[in-house]
Amino acid sequence: MKSEKLQDAIGMVDGDLIERAHKATAKKSKIAHIKWTAPIAAALAIIIGLGVFFSMRGNNNNPIILNAYAVAEAQYPETVSYPEGEFLPGFEERYEAWREYRNKQREYMGAGENLDNFFQSTASQFLKDAESENLVYSPLNVYMALAMLAETTQGNSRQQILTLLDAEDIKYLRKQAHAIWNANYNDDGAVTSILASSLWMNENIGFNQNTVNTLANNYYASVFQGEMGSSDFNKALQSWLNKQTGGLLSEYTSDIEMDAQTLMTLATTIYFQAKWDNEFESKLNTTEVFHSTDKDLSCEFMNQTDSHGTYYWGDKFGATRKRLTDSGYMYFILPDEGVTPRDLLADEEALAFITEAEDWEQSTNLRVNLSIPKFDVKSNLDLTEGLKNLGVTDCFDFSTADFSPLLSTEQSAAISGIDHGARVVIDEEGVTATAYTAMKFAGAAMPSEEEIDFVLDRPFIFVITGCDNLPLFIGVVNKP
Amino acid sequence: MDDERIVELYWQRDESAIEHSKAKYGAYCLSIALRILQNKEDASECENDTYLKAWNTIPPKKPSPLSSYLGMITRGLSLDRLRKRSARKRTDSVCISLCELEDCIPAQMSIAEETEAKELARLISDFLRNLPEHECNIFLNRYWHFLSIREIAEKYSFTQSKVKMTLLRTRKKLSAHLEKEGIFV
Repeated sequence: MKSEKLQDAIGMVDGDLIERAHKATAKKSKIAHIKWTAPIAAALAIIIGLGVFFSMRGNNNNPIILNAYAVAEAQYPETVSYPEGEFLPGFEERYEAWREYRNKQREYMGAGENLDNFFQSTASQFLKDAESENLVYSPLNVYMALAMLAETTQGNSRQQILTLLDAEDIKYLRKQAHAIWNANYNDDGAVTSILASSLWMNENIGFNQNTVNTLANNYYASVFQGEMGSSDFNKALQSWLNKQTGGLLSEYTSDIEMDAQTLMTLATTIYFQAKWDNEFESKLNTTEVFHSTDKDLSCEFMNQTDSHGTYYWGDKFGATRKRLTDSGYMYFILPDEGVTPRDLLADEEALAFITEAEDWEQSTNLRVNLSIPKFDVKSNLDLTEGLKNLGVTDCFDFSTADFSPLLSTEQSAAISGIDHGARVVIDEEGVTATAYTAMKFAGAAMPSEEEIDFVLDRPFIFVITGCDNLPLFIGVVNKP
Repeated sequence: MDDERIVELYWQRDESAIEHSKAKYGAYCLSIALRILQNKEDASECENDTYLKAWNTIPPKKPSPLSSYLGMITRGLSLDRLRKRSARKRTDSVCISLCELEDCIPAQMSIAEETEAKELARLISDFLRNLPEHECNIFLNRYWHFLSIREIAEKYSFTQSKVKMTLLRTRKKLSAHLEKEGIFV
C-alpha cells in the first residue's frame, strides 16, 4: 500500500527531528483572551423543545405548586454596570469596579477550547441545507441545551451526547458548561449577552428533585410546573421565551405549544446585542445588486474603509471581520467565485476557520474597503435529524432512551423534537448608543499601502463570536 | 549514563548496554509500541525485540540520538506486527494516520516499487527541516509517534482545530514537495 510505504519512510526520518518533536512542549500556557470591541449587531437565538413524550401511566404524586407555575427562578450572578457619565464625579472609581468585574469573568474563559469539533460538525450539519434561503444557528445555545439534556439522561443516551460534546464525563461537562455560561453572560450596559434556560414540567409527573436542582444551580435554569396542554401554561412558556429574546422571535414562539402528552419541555435562549466598534455612516450607504442564488436583489449596502483591516483567506474563501464593542467579532466569509456557502460548510479548511479565525495564519493587515448589505435574517430549524446524524440517537427512541435521572418513577420517555429559532439583525449604528469610553485594543497593525475591496454581493457566511471567542451565531445569508 | 557511553558499550559487545538502554528508554519504547498495538503483551515483546535489533546493528551504526534510533526500531517492529494482524484488529490510531497520509500521494502518481525507503526518508527529512518548528513537531507527533489530535493539542496548548489545520496544510505541502522531486513519477 502506497501510504504504508510513506508511513515506513516517515519512521526513518532524522533522529534529531524525532527527538525534538518528542521533547517539545508548549512554550507558554495559552492565556484566555478577552476582546474589547463594539458593533451594532442585535442577535438572538432560541432552542426549544426537548419536549419529552411518555406513555402515560398515571401518577398522583403531584408536587404542590404554590404560585403561578414558577417552582424556582434562576438567580443570575450579580453584575456591575458600566458607568455612565464620563465627566461626573466618581466615574473613575465606578469604571474601575466595572473593570474588576470584567476581569473576574476572565477566570471562566477558555473552558470551551475543546469544542471545535462540536462547533464545526454542527455548523456543517445544521446549515448544510442553506441552498437559497437564509439559515441561522447558535452553536453556544445548542451546546447549553445538550449539556442540560445530558444531565437528564443516563447510560448510552448520555454517552452519545458526551461524545458529541467531547466531554469525558458528566462532571467535566457540568463544570465546563457552568464556566461557558459565566464567560458569556453580560448584562452590564456595555454589552448584552444573556443566556437563559428553563424547564417546563408536567404537574402530573414525579421528577427527581436532585436533577432539577442540578439544572437550576449549575445552568441557571428556571423551573416551571403546570398543566400540560392548557392555554395558560403555553402562554406562560411563550411569554418567557419572548421576554428572554426581546420579542424578536415572537413569530416563531407563538407556534410553540405543549400538549397534554408532553412530559417536559426544556428551553434555552441566548440574546445578544452589541455595537460596532466603528459604526457605519448611513450617508455612505448605497443601493447595490446582491446576486442571490436564484435572482438579483436590490439591497442597501453599508460601506466603510478600515485602514487597519484584516483579510483572511483559504483555498476557497476570503474573509474579514468587524470588531464588536466589549465583545468579540463578526466575521464575514465570502466564498470564491463558483463556490457556494454550502460548499464551504463541507470544506475542512473553511470549517476550521469558523473556530480558528483568531489564530488563522493566512491573514494580512491591509486597507479593507468593506461593502456589506444590511440584513435581518431568521430561520427556524428542527435539529432532530441533524443530531441523529451526529450520533445522538438513543434519546429520540422510546426503546433506547434513558431518562432515569430526571424521572422519579419508572416510565418510558423520548424526545419528541428539537426546534431552534434564531435571528440576526445588523445595521449601521447598533441597538443602543450609550455614553461609554471606547476601549482601544493593543497590537494594531501599521496601515498598509495594499488594499482590498471586500464586497459581499453574493451569498456568504457570517460568524459572531463573544467575549470568550466562542461562536455565538453562525449563519448563511442567501437573501439579505 | 549518557547515550554516548551506552553506544560505546554496544561497540564493546558489553551486554550491559541492553540493560542501560532498557533503563533509560524502555518506557519510551514501550509507549510507542503500546500506542501502535494497543496490546500490552505484544508491545512488551516488541520492546524486547528492539534491544536485540539494536544489539545486531550497533556496530556498525553509531546512532545519535539513541532514543530516536531505539524508538525507530520499536516503531518499525510494531508496525510490522500490526500489519500481520487481520484488518479488523488493526488499531484506530494507526489506521486513521494511514488514511490521512493518502493526502500526500498525488492521485495520478504511484510510488515506484524500486524507490528506496531510505531515499524517501531523506526527502521527507529535508522537507521537515524547512518547515517551521511547530509544524514539523506536530507532523511527527501525529505520523511518527501516532499521537491523537487531542493529545497533540494538549501537548502544545493548541486547539484541536489548529492541529488539524496544520496537519492538513503540511500534508498538502509534502505532497507538492514529493511531486516536485519526481519521486513518484
